[in-house]
Amino acid sequence: SIDMLMSSEKEEDPDVIPEDSSLLTLRIRKKVLERREETIIVDRACRQETLTYEMESHATGKRPDNLTDLIEEGELLLTLNIFYPVIFQKHKDHKPYQTVLVLGSQKLTELRDSISCVSDLQIGGEFSSQPDQAPEHISKDLYKSAFFYFEGIFYNDKRYPECRDLSRTIIEWSESHDRGYENLQSVRMEDYVFNDLSLKIGFPYLYCHQGNCEHIIIITDIRLIHHDDCLDRNLYPLLIKKHWLCTRKCSVCKMYTARWVTNRDSLAPEDPCFFCDVCFRMLHYDTEGNKLGEFLAYPYADPGIFN
Amino acid sequence: MSVVPGLKEDCEELLGAFQQADTVRFERFAELWRERRFHTIFYGRIRALERNKLTKTTLELAQQYFFPPYSFQIRVGALYLLYGLYNAQLCQPKQKIRIALKDWPEIQKFQQDLLDSQHYDAAYVFRRLRLARAFHFTAMPKLLTYRTKKKIEENYFKEEFKDPSNRVNSLITNDVLEELMNIHGHYQKMKCVISADKSQPDKALSLIKDDFVVNLKDITLEHQEWQQNRTKLFQNAKETDETESKKKEETLLESEGSERASALARIKYRSYSAVVEVSKSRRHRQVQLESSEAGSSCGKSPSQSKKTSRRPQPARRRGEMQVAKEAVTRHIGMPVITEENSDE
Repeated sequence: SIDMLMSSEKEEDPDVIPEDSSLLTLRIRKKVLERREETIIVDRACRQETLTYEMESHATGKRPDNLTDLIEEGELLLTLNIFYPVIFQKHKDHKPYQTVLVLGSQKLTELRDSISCVSDLQIGGEFSSQPDQAPEHISKDLYKSAFFYFEGIFYNDKRYPECRDLSRTIIEWSESHDRGYENLQSVRMEDYVFNDLSLKIGFPYLYCHQGNCEHIIIITDIRLIHHDDCLDRNLYPLLIKKHWLCTRKCSVCKMYTARWVTNRDSLAPEDPCFFCDVCFRMLHYDTEGNKLGEFLAYPYADPGIFN
Repeated sequence: MSVVPGLKEDCEELLGAFQQADTVRFERFAELWRERRFHTIFYGRIRALERNKLTKTTLELAQQYFFPPYSFQIRVGALYLLYGLYNAQLCQPKQKIRIALKDWPEIQKFQQDLLDSQHYDAAYVFRRLRLARAFHFTAMPKLLTYRTKKKIEENYFKEEFKDPSNRVNSLITNDVLEELMNIHGHYQKMKCVISADKSQPDKALSLIKDDFVVNLKDITLEHQEWQQNRTKLFQNAKETDETESKKKEETLLESEGSERASALARIKYRSYSAVVEVSKSRRHRQVQLESSEAGSSCGKSPSQSKKTSRRPQPARRRGEMQVAKEAVTRHIGMPVITEENSDE
């Protein structure tokens, strides 16, 4: 009966603000809505908003098919902000980031696998003479080393034999002179889960891969798992927020995302110039596949490729 | 978190009305809630994404009133408010109330207090919230966001909601007094042991007053009573302030004496400016009419203690008010403390 005391007696439409409200909040809100109507500002959800909302809430309440994947009570849920390494001028004030939810019992390697960075997809090498032979190996497969840095300890990915200890350089540098950094250690990433770490909330940590691609990681929240959260272990690390980057389109058709970039191209209006695959071949090669004109061509992976 | 315009005022108004009602019964709160139709606070054609954020901010704001240093009644009011807001929200699934780990023992203590004082309706409300899984147990109270703030908002506490800051009481608690008694007893026994006459201590060893613990307790009690009387008088004075005629009356009656008093106050104010600074800096933590506690009056002679109970800074703002208020403060000056021979 306590609940009854709260609810209203008659049918009410939550969209309509009552006329005679004594609440300041509602009066202010009403003024804003009226001003929008007067100036004919149309108030609809744009696709960015829909995307953001969907990402935030798509996994709430999900339960796994297989009960062994059910998350138990007492599990910790961490919220990490992983910042993009791309530095554009327009991002000076608010650096874009993606937000990932991670379980306390998950290994660091699982987080590492879930971070999608455009530098992983890059293919090195100049392929103007043999465009069809652009290799399928992306940098992710070639350079597998990576490390996390939390609280003075470097967690290196050592799962594959070709992984190298990238943090060795840093540790040697700090030990060479007395630079004021004590006790930097290096351990294996796959041996640790998040529950083993001691972390500061709001303090920037580092994720480095590909030798020089660095991402800042900040932990914004730690809390206990809740009944209304997604309880399917397979879905974690769960991406709930992503920054939308505009993709660069082909200079010719302006429809498809650029896959090639050319330098010193006698056939192109600017340097560098971006092309999609079809337009690139049509412009630079004749029907037999001979190279026309002088240019250097590189395969290109756009940062917006993850949209 | 972003600020919802008008929300803080509405919440404070509701909690203020609840405090005025001077009860902790849920029925009373529900009446006030229904009067204001508070459940409509989430209305207004808000889309899902914005609604989530708004509800989160609202719950966070209401949750602040649930913890110390707010007074017991306000905390119960905040509990009811949280219950109402949680149930009235339109988000699906419902947004939760964040409680930090460090605050959790406080809440358990609060719940125990509620049960001990037999406020079963408040305890039931809390239990309902727990059963409805309305809480997120987090490490930190506020969720971090990374937007550059245009100005740093200062979280000021609404003064009337707080418990009058009872520093003397928090220092001299029952436990402390008990300890003192014990130590005193031990000390006396020790003195007896080492003196010639085993049944009582040497005259040469009597360096303290024997019954100082009892005196201390009496003084503390006196202080507490004085503070309560003063807050009551302050509230009464505030009510009379609002009626103009009464104010005029008071000023006429007290005009002569208080002219001299205000002149004296001005002189004192200028000379005691150091004292004023301290009390001003702590003004945000004290009820407005606080006398210069930070200052000097405690151990001084009685005549001086009366005069230093002037309230310096805020009085300047209101010309005539000052006269009326000063009359009031003069009547309830600091209690006279008789000088002891040996100071502790």
